[in-house]
Amino acid sequence: MARCFIPVGWQQAGHLALVGFALLATLATTRAGPATQAGMTAIPAGTYRPLIRSQDEPAEISVAPFWLDIRPVTNAEYLAFVQAHPRWRRSQVSPLFADSGYLSDWAGDLELGPSAPVGAPVVRVSWFAARAYARAIDKRLPTIAEWERAAAAGFTQSEGAKEPGFPAQVLAWFTQPTPQPLPAAGSGRPNYFGARDLLTLVWEWVDDFNTAMVTGESRGDSGLDRNLFCGAGAAGIRDPSDFAGFMRAGFRSSVRASYSVPNLGFRCAQSP
Amino acid sequence: MKTIAVLLSGFAAASALLAAEGAVPPGSGSAIRPPCCAAIAPDAPLTARSLYQLDAIWTNDAGRVSKLATLRGRPVVIAMFFASCEYACPILVSDLQRLRSALPEAVRERAQIVLVSFDTVRDTPAALLAFRERMTLDAGWTLLRGPEAAVQDLAMLLGVKYKQDARGQFAHSNLFTVLNAEGEIVHQHAGLQGDISEAAAAVMRPAKSASPSP
Repeated sequence: MARCFIPVGWQQAGHLALVGFALLATLATTRAGPATQAGMTAIPAGTYRPLIRSQDEPAEISVAPFWLDIRPVTNAEYLAFVQAHPRWRRSQVSPLFADSGYLSDWAGDLELGPSAPVGAPVVRVSWFAARAYARAIDKRLPTIAEWERAAAAGFTQSEGAKEPGFPAQVLAWFTQPTPQPLPAAGSGRPNYFGARDLLTLVWEWVDDFNTAMVTGESRGDSGLDRNLFCGAGAAGIRDPSDFAGFMRAGFRSSVRASYSVPNLGFRCAQSP
Repeated sequence: MKTIAVLLSGFAAASALLAAEGAVPPGSGSAIRPPCCAAIAPDAPLTARSLYQLDAIWTNDAGRVSKLATLRGRPVVIAMFFASCEYACPILVSDLQRLRSALPEAVRERAQIVLVSFDTVRDTPAALLAFRERMTLDAGWTLLRGPEAAVQDLAMLLGVKYKQDARGQFAHSNLFTVLNAEGEIVHQHAGLQGDISEAAAAVMRPAKSASPSP
């Protein structure tokens, strides 16, 4: 059975103490749900500050506590999923739910090959496929609010933007070409909540990516095209310096649910 | 008494359409169907790109339930909306009315305009019926509501973006989609008050799998 986890990160002694500390710190504030969840980390209740919001939208949205996979889903895990669910194999998937690039870096229908190492994050999966994977193990995709809440943390502080050097490290990722093949999922440094690779490995699907409404035309985005979007006329920007946040918002608004993108993977979430 | 009942049921005639799968729709008495609307063998499997693979159950403004696949065999123009929309939805509806009147009568009689609500809470069948009355939509229009997961799936497949704001209004793409008789997307029209001639042409094109007119 496919699973969202195999706690790779935990085997790395150098980070163990840090993860453990972050987990303890977060669990202390999380009352609901099981005390531990293999391969997942508890994200305590908190707030999400949307980067782009309409006039009526509150500046802060509260996010209930949830579990988040420590790292993105790997090729090996996704392979186990398609073995159990033939309709999600490359040869059988409906073109409605995954475009022609779906798993195209795999050597075959049930064979990973050199471009898709076992431990690397699975990419070229559509939103429909990612959601099907999550549902198959009673999980779900995180929402934008949840994902951004988890990713807003730095390595040592709950607010990455205030941690010296953290924003620069995130930005550095954008200057690097995507390595081929991708490095192993979970090899990145854990953040304050114990989640790894949120910002510096691959893009990740979120459940409600289609709520991001940035139009393709950059000059139009200050006022969002009124004819294309109903009611989105007065959008405001939280932090114009959040380059990575803009990139994510733009990315989310540019993809469709059937798209398979070379560096777009996912991780799962679960409610307590 | 019976005639009154008939009149009343005719009021939400779109429901009759959904229920009467395979039944002869009004006006189809003409011997030759237009190419867009040629018969599809009822047992033929759905095509790979057919939206009718979605098996969600929808409820119309008469409270009748159905799957989208009951629309198979006729051209469909589908858009997402919500009944309490103040800004764009009335314009979207008038665009669709314009599209409908641009169709030749034989096509118009077969085509369905389907409006699917984002608002899974407030858009009850009664609210949809009130919208139908307010906008004076006839039997050529189908108004549907469904569970949240189904709304999300459909929006994803159509490429419709939507987001509910604090007041409960939905910001959403103004987009309508033309489906052929097989339920495949053949045309999408974004924006309001644009030229609808391409969309009208798309409605009239036959589906590849459709058998020639009898």
